[in-house]
Amino acid sequence: MTRNITDLSQVRRSVEQANGLPNAHYVDESVFDEERQALLYAQWAGLAVAADVPEPGDAVPLSFLGMPLLILRDKAGDVRVFQNICRHRGMILVDEPKKIRGAIRCPYHSWCYSTKGELVSTPHVGGPGQNTHDAVHREDLGLLEVRSHIWRDVIWVNLSGTAPAFEDAMSDVIARWAEFDKPLYHGGADSRFKLEVNTNWKLAVENYCESYHLPWVHPGLNSYSRLEDHYNIESADRYSGQGTMVYRQLKADDGAHFADFEDVGDKWNEQAEYIAVYPNVLLGVHRDHAFAIVLEPQSTNKTVEHIHLYYATPHTNADLRKTNTKMWKTVFEEDIFVVEGMQRGRHADLFDGGRFSPVMDSPTHCFHAWVAGQVEAHRAMKRAAE
Amino acid sequence: MSEVLHAAMLAAHEANDSAALVRLYTQAADLAAETTGDVDAACFFLTHAYIFALESGAAEAPALRARLVAHGRELPVQEDVEPERALSQLSTFCASASGGKTG
Repeated sequence: MTRNITDLSQVRRSVEQANGLPNAHYVDESVFDEERQALLYAQWAGLAVAADVPEPGDAVPLSFLGMPLLILRDKAGDVRVFQNICRHRGMILVDEPKKIRGAIRCPYHSWCYSTKGELVSTPHVGGPGQNTHDAVHREDLGLLEVRSHIWRDVIWVNLSGTAPAFEDAMSDVIARWAEFDKPLYHGGADSRFKLEVNTNWKLAVENYCESYHLPWVHPGLNSYSRLEDHYNIESADRYSGQGTMVYRQLKADDGAHFADFEDVGDKWNEQAEYIAVYPNVLLGVHRDHAFAIVLEPQSTNKTVEHIHLYYATPHTNADLRKTNTKMWKTVFEEDIFVVEGMQRGRHADLFDGGRFSPVMDSPTHCFHAWVAGQVEAHRAMKRAAE
Repeated sequence: MSEVLHAAMLAAHEANDSAALVRLYTQAADLAAETTGDVDAACFFLTHAYIFALESGAAEAPALRARLVAHGRELPVQEDVEPERALSQLSTFCASASGGKTG
């Protein structure tokens, strides 16, 4: 099958000479399917945040690229991710967010699982009132757990099970932000929102990681955060983004402000960074708050952005928090027309993927080069398997 | 099973009332055991009582499980969802059971 093979030879050239990803990577179903395997299932992808399941027994079902998953905080407090199906007949186990008070009971034949995923009961499996059978080994039939890891409250999953350990795969960005390795407190209901955007998820990454567009798309930033105050962040094949040297803390009229992350260091007094951790998580850190955006790719041209704001202390000024949420929501909404416009633009069949500003676009080129590398590696593996 | 009990069960299912389901299926199990001595029928209802107790984290779960275990209808290994609480309740139940409550 050659229909989904795109020519990526131009993409991995130097930024001065490269073209961006071909249109098919934004509009073609078969390339979307290919990228699902190569860019999302095979990597550590962002799924949700641990704050979605704050208490033991909290269970949230969701679909990630068509795969039914269940996020569960077990009775010991650990967050786990399972495929949301019963090992008996593959029935969906949990179909809406709920509190698991005892066990997860399959609504079909009532096989029950503990919050750790163990199969704990198999009613009538050996006939009416006979709840065991020699051929049914419960210890082999626990829920299918997906490899997961929590970092910066984001639940990262490796669905293929083949990625290196999270700490190795993400060692660079973990080290870069070691000073922010502090407890994060989700701001609560007023500090989460989602944006449903008619774009391919990669365009949201691409727009996020460069500062080139800021003065044009976010003119409100020009008064204090000018283009020349920003710098590029690039770690080949890992992440890219931008930083600013003039972060200004939000302050209420009476001078109230959020508490800083403890001992975060003077370096961060006026510095802030915004990094797209490949594939689909957009993170931001500041001395006094942080955010995480988990991109949920739904189709070639539909993405849901799940946005969460975090603080250094469990209790924060509610008015200030709401102002902060509103400020970020405005910024992220200002980006919608560009990511949707680029998506529509990908149907112009003479477009060659575009040319980059060698100075301003290198974080975006870094992402494209990663995409091309992962897709090519995936294709090579597939060819070898054939 | 009486029509009254049957109707109450249907209502409990309709209302998704786990406490009532545990209680009513336990009643049905006891009734089957007392009136007909039919262990299979009793264990059928007992299984339902246990499953609803297990699902809802009800305190009755370990005792119901122990009854099933006593009839060879459930694994003796306690793999319950709240091991510490369940085990302590199970041992309490077994202590009282060995005092003659059940065979």
